[in-house]
Amino acid sequence: MKKIGFVAALILFGVAILSTRYYMVDLPVYHFLGGGEVLDPATLHLQGEFVESNLGAAEGPSGSLTVRMIAQQFVFVPQCVQVPAGVPITFRMTSADVVHMLSFLGTDYGLKVVPGAVTEATFTFAKPGTFKIPCHEFCGAGHYAMRGQLNVVPPDQFASLLPGERRTCELR
Amino acid sequence: MALCVITVLLAGKDSPGQSSAEPGSAKPGSANSASAKPVNAEPSVRVPSNVAWTAQIVKIASGGDAFRGLLLARRCNHCHGEEGFSSVPAFPNLAGLDRLSFWKQMQDFRSGKRASPVMQPIAEGLSARDSADLAAYFAMLPTASDAQDNRAFPQTMHEPPRATIAIRLIVFGDGQRGIPPCQSCHGPVSYVKGAPPLAAQNGDYLEQQLEHFADGNRANDINVRMRSIARQLTAEEKTAVSEYYGAGLGPGVNSR
Repeated sequence: MKKIGFVAALILFGVAILSTRYYMVDLPVYHFLGGGEVLDPATLHLQGEFVESNLGAAEGPSGSLTVRMIAQQFVFVPQCVQVPAGVPITFRMTSADVVHMLSFLGTDYGLKVVPGAVTEATFTFAKPGTFKIPCHEFCGAGHYAMRGQLNVVPPDQFASLLPGERRTCELR
Repeated sequence: MALCVITVLLAGKDSPGQSSAEPGSAKPGSANSASAKPVNAEPSVRVPSNVAWTAQIVKIASGGDAFRGLLLARRCNHCHGEEGFSSVPAFPNLAGLDRLSFWKQMQDFRSGKRASPVMQPIAEGLSARDSADLAAYFAMLPTASDAQDNRAFPQTMHEPPRATIAIRLIVFGDGQRGIPPCQSCHGPVSYVKGAPPLAAQNGDYLEQQLEHFADGNRANDINVRMRSIARQLTAEEKTAVSEYYGAGLGPGVNSR
């Protein structure tokens, strides 16, 4: 009888954990289990979509915008990205070394960036503005100074991208 | 006896050196050709450096033989000093350099990713193994001061009040402008693969390299890391940090 109670308690505990924390915790292994692409963080600069000439805001399929960024100790590359407001923007990010997390300060959005995996999410920024992007996961000695910037401009001020153009901006 | 050993080592330099040149350059090359397909439709791919810190390459770069490096280092002595400290402040000191960073720079000089009319022909004469041996040797050299040596290294700061700017950047960086602290990658607080220690480096050389990074003349840093940071620095900050390190004041192991 005691054993049944113990097992039941364990199951209940498990259910409680699953129903509350499980979906909140984004472990790196989920990215790999989910069948996402697996990259070698050491060779990002040699080939693939995260070579340095391909970073920044680019025209994605069917006219949508795709922003590609690398998070690494202790800078985001590119440090500043310009996107239009009110348009869905797809972020594709990866890390070159350790797990980073970023939040767009002043908006509801954030991302977790895992080495070896591509984090993809689509956000729509309703209002124009300048949003700082601090690193939100301790990544090393320079973590607190790791900061990028997102410039959301009104759609009419966003000059349309030329074919092959990658839009970045100056961090101020 | 000793002479015999030296001759044997020097004679053996060419053949194993040439063969070990393959692994260093083969990996990036093959990786390039394998996946050039998806990006070629996009803007032309710019590869900053053929070196990638895979486990295999880290092993090659850090597995040098310091004694063989000592013999090879004779060709470096003229510019970089007998003890790895150059007499001209615009030339870098090699003493106490980290193995990986030294090896990477030699590969980049060899492939032309880091342009230098002086260093490119010299690096072309060295195989990947030779560079690893040299790296092992220079990593071993002490950075302690030596009154007998003709070195330019600790130079006085032109404007001592700038030291406060330098300390702020070296220790804290500037988060608002996306500048991480120097010491979080270049030591002694923590190290990142391929980042050289700066504590015993010449100020003039550092300033010149920061400027080259900022205007893109030097673009062999992996994933635009150092270029992004140098672009954010003002001219005064570049000078302050370089002079501070060049005066031997920067934090680091055996810096004085």
